[in-house]
Amino acid sequence: MSEHVETITSEPALRQQLGWSELWKKEDWWAIYLGIGIVIIALIAFLNGSTFIKSLSINPGGLKWTSFSQLLSHFAKNYQLYILQLISWLIIFGISTRVLGISTSKFIPSFIVLYALSIVMFSIGGWANASKYNLEPPLVALVIGLLIANVIPLPKWMDAGFRVEYYIKTGIVLLGATFPITLVVSAGPVALVQATVISLITCLTIYFAATKIFGLDKRLGAVIGTGGAVCGVSGSMAIASAVGAKKEHLYTSVTLVVVWALVMILFIPFVAKALGLHPGIAGAWVGTSEFADAAGFAAATAYGHMAGNENAAIQGFTLMKVIGRDMWIGIWSFIFALIACLKWEKEESGRKPDAMEIWWRFPKFVIGFFVASFFMTSITASYSAAQFSKVVKPDLIAPIVSLRTWAFIFCFLSIGLTTRFRELKAAGWKPFGAFTIGVLVNVTLGFLLSVYAFGHYWMNLGK
Amino acid sequence: MEINDRCGDCEFFNNDPEWIEAAFPGLNSLSSAYASVRAEAGTCSRRGLFLPPWKESCRYFKHIERACIPSD
Repeated sequence: MSEHVETITSEPALRQQLGWSELWKKEDWWAIYLGIGIVIIALIAFLNGSTFIKSLSINPGGLKWTSFSQLLSHFAKNYQLYILQLISWLIIFGISTRVLGISTSKFIPSFIVLYALSIVMFSIGGWANASKYNLEPPLVALVIGLLIANVIPLPKWMDAGFRVEYYIKTGIVLLGATFPITLVVSAGPVALVQATVISLITCLTIYFAATKIFGLDKRLGAVIGTGGAVCGVSGSMAIASAVGAKKEHLYTSVTLVVVWALVMILFIPFVAKALGLHPGIAGAWVGTSEFADAAGFAAATAYGHMAGNENAAIQGFTLMKVIGRDMWIGIWSFIFALIACLKWEKEESGRKPDAMEIWWRFPKFVIGFFVASFFMTSITASYSAAQFSKVVKPDLIAPIVSLRTWAFIFCFLSIGLTTRFRELKAAGWKPFGAFTIGVLVNVTLGFLLSVYAFGHYWMNLGK
Repeated sequence: MEINDRCGDCEFFNNDPEWIEAAFPGLNSLSSAYASVRAEAGTCSRRGLFLPPWKESCRYFKHIERACIPSD
């Protein structure tokens, strides 16, 4: 027995908590390092009058080309910059994913394919008639990614470079640099109220539909309820571990969230367009009713393009989803862990959850968003409006926006490239029914609150 | 000395992120096993559950074999 004790005490429980190593073992922290690092380099270059970052942030999305020869001449003229950009992405993402434990030999070829496809997506978006045919880059990226993944049997190892969450988190931190902290302070509380009302109602709807109408396990109700109400698969994963759910519960939630998220990416932008919604309002609606950050940014960006004000749609979505919903995932997990321990596990003498679990499950990349927002707002506050428009916007903000757009396109393509419908586990019609009831309540309520209750707030976004 | 064994010390527990993404098809489409929200949760192959590693162990607990540092 003493030898047994020695084994445990002489070596930390490696698989229990990461402690400080979370700082390099979680992609949230790496998204912060990359995002803030890029912002600092861009700022140094800007202050020194260097055009390095501006050149490196090149993309063909704004070309408005009308003939292939125009497009080809752009690449012929700038191919060295594109090669340099690819190498830069490979270095920063390659090193960080290596530290995370992802094989570099798998990541590099996969990322090169992703980069080449991203060039194609940008080029499609840069066609002068793209918007006429609704060829919005996020939607095109998603559809082409889905087609490739489900028609061409891509080897599974290529997922090493299709890091949906890592790219969207890096993009969100970069987004923070162009997101005024004053807007977070002024509109954040409204977003929080709207998001909390809808998250609570949606979660309770799915939970009670699952347990009372369909007679499903309460843990499954909690897992799919949080997946539909808070943060999609990430929310389900957090709650599943908090309540000790069965693996099948998580399989079910993954399938439901992925399928409905894809439906919503297409549904909300086109309905918003048909109704002529202000992009700020549509962004808030997407932020309330879409299940995952990556899917939501695809929908909000697409509608922003359609409506001609991408900024307003992205701001509305970010306020609602990142600030209103994502940040509270740890608290949701803690509450469900408490319920599981005090009510569901009485007979199992479950341990009371530790309040620190709120922090352990906190989506840390949100910190990067706030830091970038505060940092850049402070820096740019010293410039007059005229200086900002003439100098800061084209030489500092625009390159950061372009790099953010790259990160988003990597993400949108990766959603499609990693979604293989044949591999998804069957969810069963009862969970599907419960989740669908929640989706209908969520979408309707999200629309009513975004348009009628708080519409006057969201209409002021993007100015 | 009282030992409170945890799932994280059990042979049936697996929380390797690469393994988790492979075990849950579609998880990496809109989320990630490398995300902070997972907080080192993993699966129990004995009971078929998704659990945090700090969860108190059950009757099936089997201590994972680790390299011991001999005490003189």
